[in-house]
Amino acid sequence: MAIEIKNLYKSYGRLVICQDFNIILEENKITGILGPSGCGKTTLLNIIAGLEEYQRGTIKGLGGKTFSYIFQEDRLLPWSTVKENIRFVLDSIYDDQKAEKIANQYIDMVGLKEYAHYYPKQLSGGMKQRVAIARAFAYPADILLMDEPFKGLDLELKTGLIQSFLKLWKQDKRTVIFVTHDMDEALSFAHYIYILEGKPLRIKEKIRNMRGVVSDRF
Amino acid sequence: MKIFTILKNKKITRITILIFWLAIWEIASLLIGREVYLPSPLNTIKAFLSLSITSKFWLSIALTFIRVVTGFVISCILGIILGIICGLNRFLYELLNPLVIAIKSTPVMSIIIIALIWFQSGRVPIFVCFLMCFPIIWTNAVEGIRQVSKELLQMAKVYRVNRSLIIRRIYIPSIGPYLIAGITTALGLGWKVTVAAEVLSNPKFSIGGNLYGAKVYLESAELFAWTSVVIILSFAFEYLFKYIIARIEKY
Repeated sequence: MAIEIKNLYKSYGRLVICQDFNIILEENKITGILGPSGCGKTTLLNIIAGLEEYQRGTIKGLGGKTFSYIFQEDRLLPWSTVKENIRFVLDSIYDDQKAEKIANQYIDMVGLKEYAHYYPKQLSGGMKQRVAIARAFAYPADILLMDEPFKGLDLELKTGLIQSFLKLWKQDKRTVIFVTHDMDEALSFAHYIYILEGKPLRIKEKIRNMRGVVSDRF
Repeated sequence: MKIFTILKNKKITRITILIFWLAIWEIASLLIGREVYLPSPLNTIKAFLSLSITSKFWLSIALTFIRVVTGFVISCILGIILGIICGLNRFLYELLNPLVIAIKSTPVMSIIIIALIWFQSGRVPIFVCFLMCFPIIWTNAVEGIRQVSKELLQMAKVYRVNRSLIIRRIYIPSIGPYLIAGITTALGLGWKVTVAAEVLSNPKFSIGGNLYGAKVYLESAELFAWTSVVIILSFAFEYLFKYIIARIEKY
């Protein structure tokens, strides 16, 4: 079942973020959301994740779903190592052995094997972002939300991560919604792209991506 | 320039400063010329040494020590638990806050005298120590909980991390520095108020009781010796605590 948002109204006091906003986000597909900064993209992700309330409207297709979320900031526990940070989201659902195995697997995927026992303050911004990515991928969520996940990473690393992401996605086709500023990035791995503008938030254009990695491979 | 070179060597500087103040003390006592008003450092040390060979001296220190630790540990346990609860729950905070403010504003002497009516003499210092330390630790625990990062809590919420893990991995590490600050302050205060309570409640073996005895018999050197015992113990306690914390932080 797709995520269907209807007549959404959200405001902070007098500031209206969105009004009569409608959007459909396909299930088991990768949807990219583009738009100028401050148009309310992050608020939209937060509403989907259940982190923010909204005043009016309906959202279908989220019942009983679990989420992974790559925030704009890394949001790592500063007093925990790379591995402990990833185990933090796994320990509630897996036993010790399985959590350890999964954590190692994803640390490996983002190329931080040698840094598993480092603390966030010992890592560069890009490395911290990779830990946040590993954490999001390691968690077995139905829906993966990403708020500019590859921001601040160099091209080579970004391409590499997108490759591994697509490989993972092929094995387990989750619903992915990601926000970005970069049209090329969106075209490189999204099935659908919404171009938004605001405020209030509205859809300017919906693109069905027929080229790039996605259409070639799947 | 010379002073800067001296300051470079911390240990030597400290000893020099200590000698400087001891010299001031010595000169002052020479000028006053009456041992009753201000005993000289040498006589204080003599009094200290002659006290230290008596078993009463060590027994008094041991029992005062136990009282401080008991009162302090109780205030830590209750302060941390209630502080965390009140930091998480606004209503409970509002409920408890007036009581804490009242305790904070009550003169120590009032608390001691009230405690004298309620408890037997040995327990009065423990109760007073607890009551004076509790608000500090409670306030710091509340503040620590409130400073916990909302972003990290959101992250934990999205990933549906269970409550006990959130408490252990987000709340406790966040409030650590606040608790350390609170405990350090409370430790110094704990010694002072416990001894003050002992002066009035006069348990059989206690530093405070000895202070009072020295005052009654105008044994000023002894009075100063006992006072320095309190200072040394309080210092040692704080030093030990900081050392333990530094060791823990290493891991």
